[in-house]
Amino acid sequence: MTAVRRPHASRVTKRCDVLLALVAIAGLAGDAAAQPATPPASPTPPPSPRAAAPIDLTGQWVAIVNEDWRWRMVTPPKGDYASVPLNDEGRRVADQWDPAQDGACEAYGAAALLRLPTRLRVRWDGDAELVVETDAGRQRRNLDFGAPAPAGARSLQGQSTAKWVMPPRPAGGPGLAGAGGGGAARAGGYLEIKTTNLTAGWLRRNGVPYSEDAVVTEYFARFAAPNGDEWLMVTTIVDDPRYLTQRYVTSSHFRREPDGGRWKPKACGAGS
Amino acid sequence: MSLRTVPGVAVFGALLFLHGAPAAAQTNLIGYWNPLFHEDVDERIPGPSIGDYLGLPISDAARLRAEAWDASLLSMPEHQCKPHPSTYGFRGVGVLRIWEDRDEDTQQLVKIHTHIAWQEQHREIWMDGRPHPPEYAQHTWQGFSTGSFEGDVLVVKTTHLKAGWMRRNGLPLSDRATMTDRFHRYGDLMTHVMIVEDPVYLTEPLVKTNGFLLQAAGSMTPYPCDPVIEIVRDPGFVPHYMPGQNPFIAEFGEAHGLPREATRGGAATALPEFAETLR
Repeated sequence: MTAVRRPHASRVTKRCDVLLALVAIAGLAGDAAAQPATPPASPTPPPSPRAAAPIDLTGQWVAIVNEDWRWRMVTPPKGDYASVPLNDEGRRVADQWDPAQDGACEAYGAAALLRLPTRLRVRWDGDAELVVETDAGRQRRNLDFGAPAPAGARSLQGQSTAKWVMPPRPAGGPGLAGAGGGGAARAGGYLEIKTTNLTAGWLRRNGVPYSEDAVVTEYFARFAAPNGDEWLMVTTIVDDPRYLTQRYVTSSHFRREPDGGRWKPKACGAGS
Repeated sequence: MSLRTVPGVAVFGALLFLHGAPAAAQTNLIGYWNPLFHEDVDERIPGPSIGDYLGLPISDAARLRAEAWDASLLSMPEHQCKPHPSTYGFRGVGVLRIWEDRDEDTQQLVKIHTHIAWQEQHREIWMDGRPHPPEYAQHTWQGFSTGSFEGDVLVVKTTHLKAGWMRRNGLPLSDRATMTDRFHRYGDLMTHVMIVEDPVYLTEPLVKTNGFLLQAAGSMTPYPCDPVIEIVRDPGFVPHYMPGQNPFIAEFGEAHGLPREATRGGAATALPEFAETLR
């Protein structure tokens, strides 16, 4: 095929080449001009976890139990461990449960606390620790954002380390302040929590067990419903090589309450 | 491409490389996802019991409709190949496949597809900013969906649904129902959240969550469905119960030692204080 010479197109291409080159040079020059002559004296310290929070989790939240109702709102019968991926040893331990133990504090450990019908109060204690309290069982969890402390004695709530998972930055925009630091928050983001150093407990009130080897990973996300209600969603993953054949994954949702009413602390203990 | 344009393209490319901030990274949901049945296993695998409305914020009208429902309805040819509406499909069995369409020239995201194996529930989620159609437009099982990313979460709004169900034991949803659903990805896990609103059959939004596990090598089989005459019936007969005549409503509560106040549902039955009334 014979090439067709198109003088006009050629001129336009040339102009584009020149324009693009000029823009590139100008941009690069601009960058160079923007470089400080000397490095800054001291870098800005990173914001505290509280200031960096992409979402605000504080306040009072109520569990809306419309999933697994039969295993959460009432104590299921002995031996009812439907949908929990127990291994043989887990089933053997679950079958040893005595109904007289109903209400014992083993049902209020970190692996299953947020599955119970409960209200949560979430608040900051300083700038690097979130505290989650439940009225059911009167439990308190400390979610620490700092470096993991040396493991102390095992406990029902274990040792939790937390970190924010930030949402992707909007294209072309500067970094925005977090929900705890004033300014406009970027949409999205969530809290990731890892809990270890647990004492053995129950995944359900009828003694379905988890062991002290369990590791609990949780994701806390917050969102608004179209009617204006605010929701907290907690995805909980329990890894327990002693009693489970695979990860046990549940998600629980809580609706924000306008005030602290209806908070009815009730201690745990067999027979409660 | 003319050789003359090469320098310009090269400079332009270099410009993009040096200065062009890429669009915000969007969470990648593409792949095959297996549903996890660690929650609500009774409802989601064998199927819910007649009369189980525990924790659901249903209206009196929903309860009346549900108690008139006869499971034999599903044997009617008109109902045998009926898919779940998108307000329920994510709770059912069957692999979920997610993929996307991008404009070939701009590589902008145009549409996300979700496909659930059972009864081939194929949903299109428009990501190009188009509006929802007017109310009089056709209503379908999957409805009309538009989506956007809220940070790292895909948020989808669905309207134009056919009248369907919120639970496959007869609990209905009207064709005025709408849904907002959210796809939260955590590594190889995904938590799918549904917020369903229905001015006819719900007294407040119904929020449900579903877990999924990403498959490294997934696959999907087709689900052809051809209705047949399973039971010869008189012409025009529709299985149903008249109000107060359903003999199975109390069975579920009796089997699990639960009072009728609980099994009949309602928003109050989902609150912690309701549990206190049962002790």
